[in-house]
Amino acid sequence: MIRNTRIPFIKYSPAFIALSVLVVLGSIVLMFTKGFNYGIDFEGGAKLAYQFAQPVTEGEVREALANSPFAEASVVRFGQAKENRMSIKVTLPEKHAQIGHQMTAALETKFGEGQVKLEREETVGPRVGEEMRRKAWLTIIFSWLLMLIYIGYRFDFLYGPGAVLALVHDTVIVLGVFALLGKELNLTILAALLTIIGFSINDTIVVFDRIRENKARISKSTIKDVVNAAINSTLARTLITSFTLLLVVLILFFKGGGTLHDFAFAMIVGVVVGTYSSIFVASPTYIGLYEAWPRIRGLWAKR
Amino acid sequence: MSNSWKYKLALLALLTVVSVYLIVPTIFGFSGRRQDAEATGETLPWYYSVFPDKGINLGLDLRGGIYLEFEVLSDKAITNKVDMFMADLERWMDREKVPYGSIRQETKGNVIQIEGLSEADASKLMDYVGRYYGEILVRSAKPGTPAGSVDLGLQKSYKKFLHNQIVKQALEKVRNRIDRYGVAEPSIHRLGSDRIAIELPGIKDPDRAIGLIKKAGQLEFKIVDDSMSEPDLAKMVADARAEKEIPEGFSLETVETINEALAGKIPDGTEVAFEIQFDPVQRKTTGGVPYLIKRKAEVTGEMLKNAQVNIKDNEPYVSLTFDAQGSQLFGETTTNNVGKRMAILLDGNVTKAPVIREPILGGQAQITLGYGRYDDLMAEAEDLSLVLQEGALPAQLVEATKTVVGPSLGADSIRQGTYATIVGAVLVCVFMLIYYRWSGVIANGALALNLLFILAGLALFQATLTLPGIAGIALTMGMAVDANVLIYERIREELRAGKSPKAAVDSGYGNAMRTIIDANITTMIAGVVLYQFGTGPIKGFAVTLIMGLLISMYTACVCTRMVYDYVIVKWRIKRISV
Repeated sequence: MIRNTRIPFIKYSPAFIALSVLVVLGSIVLMFTKGFNYGIDFEGGAKLAYQFAQPVTEGEVREALANSPFAEASVVRFGQAKENRMSIKVTLPEKHAQIGHQMTAALETKFGEGQVKLEREETVGPRVGEEMRRKAWLTIIFSWLLMLIYIGYRFDFLYGPGAVLALVHDTVIVLGVFALLGKELNLTILAALLTIIGFSINDTIVVFDRIRENKARISKSTIKDVVNAAINSTLARTLITSFTLLLVVLILFFKGGGTLHDFAFAMIVGVVVGTYSSIFVASPTYIGLYEAWPRIRGLWAKR
Repeated sequence: MSNSWKYKLALLALLTVVSVYLIVPTIFGFSGRRQDAEATGETLPWYYSVFPDKGINLGLDLRGGIYLEFEVLSDKAITNKVDMFMADLERWMDREKVPYGSIRQETKGNVIQIEGLSEADASKLMDYVGRYYGEILVRSAKPGTPAGSVDLGLQKSYKKFLHNQIVKQALEKVRNRIDRYGVAEPSIHRLGSDRIAIELPGIKDPDRAIGLIKKAGQLEFKIVDDSMSEPDLAKMVADARAEKEIPEGFSLETVETINEALAGKIPDGTEVAFEIQFDPVQRKTTGGVPYLIKRKAEVTGEMLKNAQVNIKDNEPYVSLTFDAQGSQLFGETTTNNVGKRMAILLDGNVTKAPVIREPILGGQAQITLGYGRYDDLMAEAEDLSLVLQEGALPAQLVEATKTVVGPSLGADSIRQGTYATIVGAVLVCVFMLIYYRWSGVIANGALALNLLFILAGLALFQATLTLPGIAGIALTMGMAVDANVLIYERIREELRAGKSPKAAVDSGYGNAMRTIIDANITTMIAGVVLYQFGTGPIKGFAVTLIMGLLISMYTACVCTRMVYDYVIVKWRIKRISV
């Protein structure tokens, strides 16, 4: 049972902020150097899911396609090993109407007729993919802005930046992990990112709400104590909620099937980072802004 | 017990009963058995008529089917429309004997450019334009335009109207074609300004359905120009391809580029079109035979009265009947061109070019379909006659995205998703039970209600449940207890501070409520943003997530509170198990 904790989070926050800055910078560097493995939703192309009658390996499938027009295809196992499912991603050839037939024919020459079953075929035009990618980034940024506005409206403007900084922090780190592992970025992951944004802000609000409750006691000398006490008194709730959510996403990760696997993975990273950020990013930013505010106002007045 | 408590209980009871009623057909698979019964003709037990017909609507990713998005290329159709205006202006100038240098359309901006007018004629022309095309054409004056030149662009509002009209017509045509094809529960709607989204659940032959939708249905009869031999023409095309680096293939764009490259080398008023050779076994295009044909169509598909599938010598073909105007034109053309060949073009490609042996006056013609398996030819003939009867699409449709899902993957997804949701929910319940004891039981009851209400909501609003939607329900199971956790932690704090159970519960709920609302609203904002952005499956996720959070405000806050109010007042408990 977690009760009456008195952990001096704020005292150690500089170290954690340094850590966060490092990880975020690392993520950004990865995003730009290694880049993303965009799914066809965001890049255009075709993705075909096959189920094989016999156990196969990715290598065998690649071999089967080596002498076909799809020699450059990327082959990934889909779902659990015993399902014998493979997901094959190719760039879109000019004439793509018959892509499923051609691919099936190429696979059947190696594995035998009736041994492969095309279960799902998706094609996305390159222009549509690019448009979707642009819209996806806009959606993320737009949701950040909406959160900033909502927090500014419900609390006051000193809270907003900290909460949104935490969101940016979480989004960037999840994206960085995806870039690092070369995991596919697609629409489902965008859904996960927005859920993470929703969850992370939720967590931050609970802490902020407690700070607001003790607004009367806040002054320059007490702010750190008030914030620290707020974090401690909501710590049990923060951990329990993150834990129950983590339980669910772990189950989805292990048992939810191929499509939900990466979604759940993003959620796992997001829940952990989101919980961390409301304590170590959002709250210290609020303190920093609160302390700097008289000086900022002074500068403003001088102009 | 206060009256308000009784009302609350009545409401909860009502909601629960209605929800159970709504989800019974889904849980017990009524729709499947109803279909079986319809097929075999047996009568269903009486209770089938008591419950609603429709259960939860499953998305394509779960039940199998096709999802298509087409882009309507309205540019070409708009250019054609402007051509019509231009022809009218030309006629007017001829009639009024207005001398002019040239008139042409600049197709990029759909601007009609008229040059070499006298200043007086230019203003006379503008009077005419103002009177008849006031809402349509507007003069654009770029600096440096000579006084005798008139540039007429489309009014912005008219161009928008026209585009809108074209997309609407295309949507209507697509809908008619699909209705005729016979798909159960198709969903066809417009997406944004220039897209059409089509969902066809449970379709067996996706390629055929896509071909049917996309087929422009542009039927034209044109006279073949025999002034060049076929080998010469083939060589010219090959040279043009090599010189201008035109890619392989015979798509409309490619053929257009070839024609641009050949301009000047072939006689005026003619163009090249191809008869495409298709290997039905390998399903591959093997080549194309070029034809030199007159640009002007003698007769078009718009002049058709009927198109029907017939069979002769075990070979299916489509027989055409022209309307009065078509019959007359067809008769005249064949009379004037006996001995020449007439090319029948379908969507810009030559299907056949028979020699006209004698004038054809009955207003009848036929299209044969080449070689292949009988079943394939029959299907092709049926589709062609359907498309010709419904008429041509007003603009070309380009496949933007396509998703084809087989039913087996969907069935596995449902199984795995449901399993994960149930296991996740059970684990959360076990944890709540251990951590909050009796209060945990209450929270678990709320969670069960939440799940019930989400499913009932899906059935009631006929929202679509997708695979990410199932994940959304699973996440809700993890997130919805948050409200209870907030409340319980608060109650514990108040109890520690020495308050009585009643006071602790009151201030616990009171203080936590504000936080819960703020926290849920922000998560819902993220959900709404996602819903705005998303396509099918992602929308399904946003829907379940938003619904789950909304419902949790009722189940986790209002419903659990009822239990506390009851036990505190009725049982006068001294200690809360939290």
